[in-house]
Amino acid sequence: MSGPGIGWYLIVAAILFGTGALGVMLRRSPLIVLLSLEIMLNAANLTLVAFARQLGSLDGQIFALAVMAVAAAEVAIGLGLIVAMARRGLALDVDQASALRG
Amino acid sequence: MVAGAWVCLLAPLAGALAIAFAGLRISRRAAGWISTLTTFVAFVGALDAFIRLWSEDASEREHLSTAYTWLAAGDFEVGFEILVDPLSAVMMLVVSGVGGLIVWYSMGYMAGDDEERRYFAYMSLFVFSMLLLVEAGNFLLLLAGWGLVGLASYLLIGFWHKRPEAVAAAKKAFVMNAIGDATFALAAVFLVWQVGTLEYFGVFERVDSLPQTTVNLVALGLLGGAVAKSAQVPLHTWLPDAMEGPTPVSALIHAATMVTAGVYLLVRAHPIFEAAVDVQHLAAILGTITLLLAGLVALVQWDIKRVIAYSTMSQIGYMFLAAGIGAYGLAIFHLMTHAFFKALLFMAAGVVIHHLAGEQDIRRMGGLREVLPRTHIAFLVGTLSLVGIPIFAGFWSKDAILASALEMGGGLGWTLLVAGLVGALLTGAYSFRLYYTVFHGEAAEVEHVPHGPEVVHEATTHAEGPLSMLIPVGILTVLSTVGGLLSIPGVWHPFTHWIGESAETLVEPTTAQEYLTSALAVALGLIGFAVARSAFADERELVTRPEAWRVLEHKLYFDELYDALFYRPAAALATALRTSVEEPVIERSLDEIGSGTIQVGAGVARLQSGLLRTYALAIALAVFVLVVVFVAVR
Repeated sequence: MSGPGIGWYLIVAAILFGTGALGVMLRRSPLIVLLSLEIMLNAANLTLVAFARQLGSLDGQIFALAVMAVAAAEVAIGLGLIVAMARRGLALDVDQASALRG
Repeated sequence: MVAGAWVCLLAPLAGALAIAFAGLRISRRAAGWISTLTTFVAFVGALDAFIRLWSEDASEREHLSTAYTWLAAGDFEVGFEILVDPLSAVMMLVVSGVGGLIVWYSMGYMAGDDEERRYFAYMSLFVFSMLLLVEAGNFLLLLAGWGLVGLASYLLIGFWHKRPEAVAAAKKAFVMNAIGDATFALAAVFLVWQVGTLEYFGVFERVDSLPQTTVNLVALGLLGGAVAKSAQVPLHTWLPDAMEGPTPVSALIHAATMVTAGVYLLVRAHPIFEAAVDVQHLAAILGTITLLLAGLVALVQWDIKRVIAYSTMSQIGYMFLAAGIGAYGLAIFHLMTHAFFKALLFMAAGVVIHHLAGEQDIRRMGGLREVLPRTHIAFLVGTLSLVGIPIFAGFWSKDAILASALEMGGGLGWTLLVAGLVGALLTGAYSFRLYYTVFHGEAAEVEHVPHGPEVVHEATTHAEGPLSMLIPVGILTVLSTVGGLLSIPGVWHPFTHWIGESAETLVEPTTAQEYLTSALAVALGLIGFAVARSAFADERELVTRPEAWRVLEHKLYFDELYDALFYRPAAALATALRTSVEEPVIERSLDEIGSGTIQVGAGVARLQSGLLRTYALAIALAVFVLVVVFVAVR
């Protein structure tokens, strides 16, 4: 087996996850929040694939495929919602979309 | 033999079910006929059983017939069984015979009532329950019949359910009877525990080997049931109020049959009472108190039916006296003659009430002798029989009871005798007061508008009512006249000997004693008659002292006493519990739980800010904490 060790992959994944999480927590545009979510999912995918290679098992890779399918569905719904918000003239700001507060 | 008895038991039940299920598909008259005919079928069955029993050898007259095992629990079994012996055969004849006549009479009396079908279904149910009570072959079945007659009585007293008085009277009767049912049931439970069986003969065989306390408790429980059902002191207050029901009901249930169930129980369970002599004597004493008390109260009552109701209590007092001193045959003999003449009196009173469009107050009656000549004769025969004038039925039975008290002797016997004789005087006075006020004197104005509880029926105006009312009255008039000839002192005693096979008489008065007490009782009855007659002629009341009048009019304050002893404390306790427990503790706590939940909810709701980023931060922090904890714990 060649290439960098598992540790490097995990570091990259952690950086990606942190970036995504900060994006979700700090940005107010729903579009960027959605993008950040995708980055977090892909960080998770990266760890899955890295461990799959490390352990010589296909399970992680198959699971990564499932996560991609979920991510695609999520993007479809999320973008649909954002388009609907834009069409209704609602502000594209997650802080203002707070009608469900208690 | 037993086939007849089963027919007798089940025919009225079939009638009740038929009327209940046919509902509106049959006419009101048809319902009346179904009820009447099934009751007469029962009478034929009883007659068949009686004749077959008669033709048998004296030692074999005892037949237990089990239909099936009703209840079984381990070794304990109770069958659905009936007992045919001389005692139950007589009771079957009285219940179905007098019952049939009264149901027949009801067809005329109730004609035009809105709910005739329901009435006849109840009547059939009652006859069935009463037959179950007298035919039962063990204590449990007896208790079942006991409860069912209480139910039927409740339903019939409250038959006119739109009248609040009738509903209140029905409830009162039910509650008073329930007290007796409870003591009876306790006695039965005690028997199951101590003897392990409820079969009559199983219990009677072993009653001598039981400890005295046990026997006394069982006898007391049974006596409690008998006292409540037979309206004896101290559970007597329901009977006068029960006169709110239709008059035939008063005749059937509250004079001829149900109220005598207590006497039947005393005689049926006589081995238990003989083993507990004190309790048996207590029965005699309670009966004597009742006969005096009811006789006194009857002197001042204005309601025609209430006077007869008090005389019923008084006569049952005589039966209790007889059963309490062991003159079982005479108790049942008086029960039978009383069923004849008391049903007659009630039915004649019913004709009067009918004629007067529901008037029951004797102050508004008078001079009915000319208007209702046949009813007048019937009522007079009933009165003579009640007072115990020779040749009429009541004479033979009542005087023999007094003779037994004389034969018993001792302090108790003499006291009972004297009280019984005073009772005879009172009976003469109140009976003839009623008779004279209603049938003699000036005719009171008759308004044909309803003012009493009775509904105006179709046949109110013409003289004495339809044939279906007059024929039963006529038959009972004959029976009240000749029914007592079954036992003539010094000549023959077939009736008491017949009952003696079921319950052997403990006191047998001599002929001389019978003649002596008869002479005394008749003389006292005639004095009572003379007093009532002279009082009526002078247009004054029997009780002239106003204080005495007030006490008697309040029925010696029994209702007020029970009100103060039981109702008020219970009501006060309930009010206290409501103000001190329910309202402050239970109701407030419910309110507090509700408002507390709302407050907590409002507090928690503030966390849901609607700010998506806050949620994301919360999730991230939570994950961080979990990871830290996870790592730390590992």
